Amino acid sequence: MSAVALSFGLLVLLVLRQRIVVLLAVAAGALYVLYGDGKLAYVVLDAWAAADKEVLLSIPLFILAGNIMAKGSIARRLIDVVRIGTGPIPGGLAIATVISCAVFSAISGSSTVTLIAVGAIMYPALTQAGYGRSFALGLICAGGTLGIIVPPSIPLILYGVITETSIADLFIAGVLPAILLMTLMAIYAVVRNWSAERTSVDWPAFWQAAKKSVFAAAMPLIILGGIYTGFFTPTESAAVAVFYAVLVESLIHREMTLKQLEQVTFETAKTLGALLPVLMMALSINTFLAFEQIPQQMVEMLSAMVDSKAGFLLVSMVLLLIIGCVMDIGSAILVMAPLLTPLATSYGIDPVHFGILMIVNLEIGYLTPPLGLNLIVAMGAFREDFLTIAKAALPFIAILAVGLVIVALWPDLSLALID
Amino acid sequence: MSAAQTFLNVLTRLERTLAVFLFAFMALIVMADVVSREITGLGISGAPRLAVYAFIIMSMISFGLASQSAEHLRPRFADALFPKSWEIPLQRVQEGLMTLFCLIFAWVAGSVVTETKALGEVSRSLKIPIWPMQSVFPLVFFIAAVRHGLFALYPAIKPSPPSKMDEAA
Repeated sequence: MSAVALSFGLLVLLVLRQRIVVLLAVAAGALYVLYGDGKLAYVVLDAWAAADKEVLLSIPLFILAGNIMAKGSIARRLIDVVRIGTGPIPGGLAIATVISCAVFSAISGSSTVTLIAVGAIMYPALTQAGYGRSFALGLICAGGTLGIIVPPSIPLILYGVITETSIADLFIAGVLPAILLMTLMAIYAVVRNWSAERTSVDWPAFWQAAKKSVFAAAMPLIILGGIYTGFFTPTESAAVAVFYAVLVESLIHREMTLKQLEQVTFETAKTLGALLPVLMMALSINTFLAFEQIPQQMVEMLSAMVDSKAGFLLVSMVLLLIIGCVMDIGSAILVMAPLLTPLATSYGIDPVHFGILMIVNLEIGYLTPPLGLNLIVAMGAFREDFLTIAKAALPFIAILAVGLVIVALWPDLSLALID
Repeated sequence: MSAAQTFLNVLTRLERTLAVFLFAFMALIVMADVVSREITGLGISGAPRLAVYAFIIMSMISFGLASQSAEHLRPRFADALFPKSWEIPLQRVQEGLMTLFCLIFAWVAGSVVTETKALGEVSRSLKIPIWPMQSVFPLVFFIAAVRHGLFALYPAIKPSPPSKMDEAA
């Protein structure tokens, strides 16, 4: 009865436009009062314990590094190299778009930033080169989503923090699935644009562009190489990324002033002001659930209904697809990962593999109405109506769904690179 | 209303300065720790802890900045349930509930800080009491209650949420 009343109360708060932090705090408070020791103070103590973790430092630092580079000239420099290099391939410009999205997202760690930074340059280039408008829109929206699976990815860090899974393992596990998704998009681009105009490689221009982008291209190598060789922890690599980004943009490229740096830091702080309290409340609920052994009870309940790993994967993936349509990815991970990951583990699914599956699944949510973030961003960026962009994204949703099935059925694709 | 607006402008400027300073401090201290370790073979004692405290205080101060720019995460799919003419009363209810939430949280957090102080809890690596850092919780939520209370009283000064385009750009 009290569970029904709590659910109804939360629904009322949702309809009355309350923020997610309020909904989660009310849920955490009610859980402690109704089912725990009755002390609201536990919510605050859990919130403090949740925030008091060194691993969380990687989130603000990676977001700041990405924002600094998004405001600078790194995207333009990288795209120039890829565009010239892929000229002779059928659909070369489209492949250049996909590669640019993947490379830039490896630097920025954000889907929407990638969409804007790469799309601003590649959308006009694609349409001027004779590629269909709908294809170009869909490609850029879908390419932008690579930002959440290509490491360093903020959603992967969130998943790692809330499920206590190794962030370094998650980063490395995301590499091959990201390459798979890129390959699927590239194959579709080649098939769809077989007869598109091709150009030969202008080698002097290529080397010139390569020289200009060398500092930008070194960024993923420094971040990921540093983590995987054990030189840095993920948190330290995030700090190195910030300083490298500041150094490159302000002293080498000379495209960022101190005032702009302050503005970018302020924008990043606002993002964290919205994100950290939600993370703290989600972790408070997580602590309560673990203490009361709720995941174990859910495992027993679900085991009675779903008796196979395949059945669990099917149910959880459909559930996440639905959630991805109506919830932003950060909230979806913070709410669903603590519930689903213990269940996945009980069915013999590696938590790292499940994390990658969850992220690839929620990646599709960036392209699905009504809250597909990339659709909304593209609407503003390219001055197109929502329906046109949603239709343009349909083939790419199918491609990502095929990628999701492959990642689900082939765990080694995610786990092969982990020791 | 203009006094409320001026108060919020001054408050936001103060929060912005503190948040940017703490962000820079946090990044510098982590980087200094890495550099020190690579050069001398030893990290800076207590540096990660200092960075974590700077992060917590910065993020909590930025809670107010997120309120001031309407950037708190909120599911919006139920927004179309009510007619447009209900917009102002709904905004008052929304902000009134947020004020109530912030006040309750500030009060509960205040009691936790008092208890921590009485117990004399200290940070193991820094050997300093942790209650001053925890005090950011009641303080920030109390300020947030004032801010959202003003939004409830004067819906005209409530900021509009940024478009997704603005967020990404």
